[in-house]
Amino acid sequence: MFTELNSILNATPDSFTQGEFILVSDRQSDASFLIHHFLSFYLRARCKVCFLGLVQSFSHYSAISQRLGVSLTQAREKGQLIFLEGLKESLSILIPQETTTGSQAMDFLRDPTVGLQRLYEFVRSSVSSDGGGEEGVEEWGPPVLLVDDVSVLLSLGVSAGAALDFSHYCRATVCSQLQGNIVMLVRCHGEEAEDDGSDEGSEWLLKGLTHQCSLTLHVQGLPTGYCRDIHGQVEVCWRRRRGDGQHTQKKLFQYKVHDKGASFFAPGTSSAVL
Amino acid sequence: MLSELLQGTDTGAVLIIQDSCSYSGQHLLKSFISAALNKEEPVHVLGFDVSEEELKDGLTASTQRLHFHSAYTDPLGWTNRSAFTVHQFCVEELTHLLKQTSHPKPVTLVIDSLSWILRHMSPPAVCKSLQQLKKGGAVRAVIGLLHADMHQRGTVGSVCHLATSVITVAPGTKGDEAVAKITKRSKLGKVTQDEEIFSIKGDFSVTVVSKTSHAGRRQTEPEEQQMDPTANLTFNIRLSDTEREAKEKLALPFVFSKEKKTALLQSGPGSGRILYEPDANDDYDQEDPDDDLDV
Repeated sequence: MFTELNSILNATPDSFTQGEFILVSDRQSDASFLIHHFLSFYLRARCKVCFLGLVQSFSHYSAISQRLGVSLTQAREKGQLIFLEGLKESLSILIPQETTTGSQAMDFLRDPTVGLQRLYEFVRSSVSSDGGGEEGVEEWGPPVLLVDDVSVLLSLGVSAGAALDFSHYCRATVCSQLQGNIVMLVRCHGEEAEDDGSDEGSEWLLKGLTHQCSLTLHVQGLPTGYCRDIHGQVEVCWRRRRGDGQHTQKKLFQYKVHDKGASFFAPGTSSAVL
Repeated sequence: MLSELLQGTDTGAVLIIQDSCSYSGQHLLKSFISAALNKEEPVHVLGFDVSEEELKDGLTASTQRLHFHSAYTDPLGWTNRSAFTVHQFCVEELTHLLKQTSHPKPVTLVIDSLSWILRHMSPPAVCKSLQQLKKGGAVRAVIGLLHADMHQRGTVGSVCHLATSVITVAPGTKGDEAVAKITKRSKLGKVTQDEEIFSIKGDFSVTVVSKTSHAGRRQTEPEEQQMDPTANLTFNIRLSDTEREAKEKLALPFVFSKEKKTALLQSGPGSGRILYEPDANDDYDQEDPDDDLDV
């Protein structure tokens, strides 16, 4: 959990806006440090977290979360964290064995044209409360869905339209119905092309998700090139605002990732420069 | 022109609001809904993009005449709980839906958003349904929101061609202002275009700040050109008045004024005259030195 980012987003583990769809995107950069932030943030806020880890193993996130002060193994054991290990599950589908009883979540690998309905059903069963009377089950806060990342689904053969349908359904269930939050990571490679909407690649997916979300954090390298002390810039854009202020608000920050966190500062005020 | 569109639309009107990632047209759409509700007209909303709560949030007008058909919770039928799926977007189903609530006044149909429908149904089918709605008479007016950056230009063009008015919104220079480019087609075929800067207040009423921004832009350009290049220099290149006079009086050597030309062309008294008689030796042709080629 990065304290400076919390003050930028006006959120603390005790009080944060509910029903938010946060889109984290990057272009030719790596925004996964923000996913680790949100994971540790929502676990600290005692929310029920459903994490779709499609690109890395559980031990990877566990090791980094340890440095941020949160134990993923403990959270999983207590039932606070439901972790879909995409890499392991995909093996059980690609190399089916008689003993595998894994969830049907990664079924889209068998036939990508079918869409992500099964994955959505997995998410829905994870975030909806378990209902009656198990003793000793702790009450968790609002559900949170974290996806790392959505653009890898495009590489697996899923169409961008299916990915948008999936995110729409997740938003309808998690944000609107259960008043929880969603954080999704989208990665774009290459320049921002004016590609006319014809080829439905990651840029098109990014636009579609931007229309659906309420808060975007866009990570990019510095426009002037590589710098040892400043790892890049983050553009925070608040899209939907109810009540006060109808307009979208944008803010730009530069950041540096440390061993145990990341620091954010206004452009030009890095400690290396001042 | 934006206020005219908000105030009233003629029968058989199709209004399309085009937006992009940088500025959402959702608030302008809510302004149109609010204006229609204020005129005590029934409004039916096909909600795909936002939930009912989010759409009704902030609308101060009485929502009694607002009928929300939720296609947000289950537009594709995945959970079998849907009130309206995207595949039900055709004239028969829509007329059936609208007939379920009877109204004395003509109905305005709001589609939020057309992009959702265009992603799942073919553009020709959507255009056909829109055209039938326009001519059909089941609704008085159709207002649709279209995310122009999500579709090919051809698709956007085809859908907007059907429309009687198209409003393209973009972010403005100041915080809560936005720019609207409006194209309106009248029934007789006349097309009017306009560009206005507007802002939307908390109760979804629209204030038009200024008409065209072109005049404003041209005003700033000559101001920029008047920047003085002789300022902020470490040496002096300015001219005093006497220096400027002397500079202007100076006759440049190769600029022929009228007097100089006549003086040179006419020989003055006493100057030498040149008499020339053509000489054979002067007629030397380099390509034919012996002058014996018959070319």
